[in-house]
Order: sequence, then structure tokens, then C-alpha cells
Amino acid sequence: MRLAFILGEIGSGLRRNLSMVVSVILVTFVSLTFVGAAGMLQMQINQMKGYWYDKVQVAIFLCNESSTAAGCASGAVTDEQRDNLGKMLESPAVKQYISDFQFESQAEAFQHFKDQFSNSPIVDSVTQDQLPASFRINMKDPEKYQIISETFSSQPGVETVSDQRQVLERIFVWMNGASVVAMGIAVVMIVCAVLLITTTIRLSAFSRRRETGIMRLVGASKTVIQLPFILEGVIAAVVGALLASGTLWLVTLWLNGDLSRQFLNTPFISSAQVLVVAPVLIALGGGLAGIASLLTLRRYLKV
Amino acid sequence: MIRFENVTKVYDPNARPALDDVSLEIERGEFTFLVGASGSGKSTFLRLILKEDRATSGSVYVAGQNVANISSWRVPRLRRGIGVVFQDFRLLPQKNVFANVAFAMQVIGKSRSIIRETVPEVLKTVGLEGKEKRMPHELSGGEQQRVAIARAVVNRPGILLADEPTGNLDPITSMGIMGVLDKINQNGTTVVMATHDDDIVNEMRKRVVELRNGVVVRDEAKALYTSMIPVVGESRLLKDASDEELDRATGGQQ
Ligand SMILES: Nc1ncnc2c1ncn2[C@@H]1O[C@H](COP(=O)(O)OP(=O)(O)O)[C@@H](O)[C@H]1O
Ligand SMILES: [Mg+2]
Repeated sequence: MRLAFILGEIGSGLRRNLSMVVSVILVTFVSLTFVGAAGMLQMQINQMKGYWYDKVQVAIFLCNESSTAAGCASGAVTDEQRDNLGKMLESPAVKQYISDFQFESQAEAFQHFKDQFSNSPIVDSVTQDQLPASFRINMKDPEKYQIISETFSSQPGVETVSDQRQVLERIFVWMNGASVVAMGIAVVMIVCAVLLITTTIRLSAFSRRRETGIMRLVGASKTVIQLPFILEGVIAAVVGALLASGTLWLVTLWLNGDLSRQFLNTPFISSAQVLVVAPVLIALGGGLAGIASLLTLRRYLKV
Repeated sequence: MIRFENVTKVYDPNARPALDDVSLEIERGEFTFLVGASGSGKSTFLRLILKEDRATSGSVYVAGQNVANISSWRVPRLRRGIGVVFQDFRLLPQKNVFANVAFAMQVIGKSRSIIRETVPEVLKTVGLEGKEKRMPHELSGGEQQRVAIARAVVNRPGILLADEPTGNLDPITSMGIMGVLDKINQNGTTVVMATHDDDIVNEMRKRVVELRNGVVVRDEAKALYTSMIPVVGESRLLKDASDEELDRATGGQQ
């Protein structure tokens, strides 16, 4: 009976304050979407790190005809220089840091290039001569990149030593920045959401002061009087959280659909991972709304 | 049933107290009028019984319990034992008569079947049989106040507080309301009614407690609205009044 009564009160409260309730839903929706986006960006970073860090290589690019680096003053790399570099890689001083290496010839480099950009007109403007041959090295410990770089970058026939990890780090720094920005926006939006919930509950308490006054006088418990208001805020916030979760889910669908066809090598987070984020968003939205409502009622609803 | 011991209530430290050292006992089953000009402290007296306000000093006892010692989560229980009606009825405009009365039972968790059984009985007691489906705006003032009384007593409280219940009603309608309150009192409910309607008080001949500036200046059984001689801080009993005084006090209605 009391439950039915409380549910009825919630229903009439939601209906009476419809426009405010809708705005609470929208604001929590937007703010929690940003929270979730920040969280999912972090997940994406971790996933890419796990995926790429095993695969990234240090590449020693060798001189070709058009190289301008200091070590390439004598023109394209000679067979002798190349064999010499191969021997250095086999030497114990270097070998202890690397697990294995392969040589990629200009022809292979051109083939890889053509595969990678098969849809792009750029392929037609590039010739095999323009691409450098390289040694591709898998490190035992990627942190030891510096040693390889120091050993090889001044060798004759070497144009440059590049660490793919550094390129990735730059991407991760950028993604981290984006997630910090998303979190910052989320915080501002959450403040808005809390203020809006506070105002909504206050208006709701005001518009139903006659009912609550009577409830008080006939001896209704604090719970029965306050619960409809609190649940009103919580329900609106949870609906917002569900919308946010749904939006994030759509984003993962898009990542794994269209986008993953364009970035074949990128491991995108899966839709299932939204299931980790969604409960957090719902708890966060519901919890904040509950606390905000409770504190507001303490001030504006005499019981 | 209700006992005030040296109760003082100060709202504003710069003004005189709303109640000033009031000591008073109201017995179970009694019908008491609380009379006095506007601002004399009648509503404050009733609010202290409900623990809507706290006494600045002194103690208020309701059913033997000092209300100051009732913790806030048990205040609802205190209030379930007390019905209240006001001058402005305070009905819920979007609910019909039945729903208005049922509301008081729903919010304290009474079952649907008990509500269906009790509400019609109480509506009959207050003389509103057959008007269950009416909306408040379809009722006269007197009928609205009857609904309010029904709502106040539907949970069978031991005490009924009425704060100027006839203040918005014409004399004849007021008498009807007094009949209802009297009937409820006959059923054993202690009734305390604040009013400054002299006709009603004079007609009913019940106990009269008169407040002036927060001080009890008179407390008489079976009394009239005004005592015969202007009183300052002391009371006279009705039996001591002269015939001439009685005549003047009742406006020659005797
Ligand atoms: N909430 C309040 N705050 C401040 N003063 C109040 C409050 N309620 C009543 N008073 C003052 O207390 C006095 C008694 O008021 P009240 O009990 O309402 O008298 P009555 O009901 O007899 O008209 C008045 O002077 C009134 O102004
Ligand atoms: Mg008053």
C-alpha cells in the first residue's frame, strides 16, 4: 500500500515537473556521456598500449639515393655497409638487447607501402627508389631503444634510427589530453546537473508543499514524505545515465564498424566494454542525484 | 491528556513572548476553547502540542510524555495521535472528498480494505454521506471544513486541535461545524479549539481558556466568551457574575 502510494506520488511529481525533469535527464545525459567518454578513452589507450607495445619495432633506415642525412654523404647504402650493420646486430654487445631482427629491402618496403595505401592515389606517385631499406628490430626491452639509437645512428649507410614506440607515445599523449579535457567538461556538467537537480527538487517540494504539510500533520514518516522527491531526482538521473550508456554503446559500434575498416591495425574497444562503464555511470548519476536531493530536502522540506 | 508547565515561547527575543509562563492541564475527553485576540498566542499553543515548535522554556506533556523528549523520528507517532483542522481547510484541490480523507490513511500505510471501510464511516459522522465523489471546489465552505475534520479524525486520534475552524464560515454553518466537533468530543476525543467567535463559545458553554499577550488571564468551566468584568491577570467564575453582567455578555440571548 505504502509502496503503491509512493510510486503514485513519484508519478505525479514527474508529470507535474515534466520540463524540469526533462532538463535534468538531458544534463545528466550529457555530463555522464563525457565521464564515460573519458573513461573509455583511457580503456582505449590501455588496449592500444597492450596491443602495440608487443609489436612495435625499432627501425634502422638505410640511405637511398635521395637521402640527405650526414651519414649518407656517400650516396645510397652499399652492400658492404649493409652487411657490416647486420654483423653489428649479431654481435654480443647489441644482441643482448634484441630478440630478433629482419631486413626489409626497398622492394619489400615498396610492397608494404602499396598494400597499406592500396586505395590511395599516392601509390602512383611513389617509386621503389624513394623508399628506404631498413633493419626491423624487435627489442627485448623497448626502454633500451636509446642504446640502439646511439650505436647505429652514426654508422655509415644509416639515415636514421626511429623508434615506433615514440610515435605511439605521441598518440597516447594526445589521447590522454583528450580524456582529461573530456573529464574537465564532465566535471563542469556534473556541477550543472547537481545544481539543476537541486532546483528541480526544490520546486517540486514547493509545488507539493500542501500535500507534504498534510502528510506531516497526520504523522507520515520522514521516509514516506521524502522518498518520492528523492526518487524523482534519482530516476531522472538514472534515465540520463542510461541514455549516456546507450550513446557510448553506439560509439563503440561505430568504432568497430566503419572506423575499424579504415584503421585495420587499430584494436578498438568493444561494445562489451560499455558494460563496464554503464554501471559506473548509473551509480554515479543515481548517487549524486540522491545525495543532492537529500541535502536539498533537509533545507526546504520540513518534516 | 495535555499539560503545560510554565511554558514560555519566544520567537523574537526583541518582542514579548508569544506564550509567557503558561501552566495548564486539559483532561482526557475534555472540550476546551482557547480564546483571545489575534496574536494572543492561540496558534502557538497548538503548535507546541504538535511539536511543530519547541518551547523556549517549560515543558509540554502530551499523553503523559514530555514532547521535548520525543526524538525527531518518533514525532510522526505523536502526530498520528493528534488530528488538526485549520481555518483554511487545506484540502487537496485535485482529489475528491473520499481521496482527501483516504490520503491521511494512505500516507501512514493503512491497507486499501481498511481505508474503503473507514472513510465512508467517518464521512457519515461529519455529515457528508453521498458526497464522496465531489471535488473540493464543488463544496460549500462548511462542507469543505467537514472534509477537513473527517481527514483529521479518520485515524482515530485521541486529540483534535482546531485552529479557528469557523473563521471563514457564516454563523449558521459554524454552528453545524460545532455540532460535528461536539459529536467527535462525545465519542471520547479531547478537543482543543482556538477561536475568537464569541457566539459559538457562548452557545457551547464549555471550558474557556483566555489568552492575552501570551498570558492565561482566565480559565473557566462552562464559560462565556468574555468574563463579565474586564479582567487583568485574574479570573472570575461565571457564578460570581451579576445578572446584569451576564445579560451584557450574552447580548441578551439568555
Ligand atoms: N513563526 C513566527 N515567528 C515569529 N513570530 C511569530 C511566529 N508565529 C507567531 N508569532 C508571534 O507570536 C505571537 C502569537 O501568535 P499566534 O500564536 O499566531 O497568535 P494567535 O493564533 O492567537 O493569533 C504574535 O505576536 C505573532 O506575531
Ligand atoms: Mg492563530
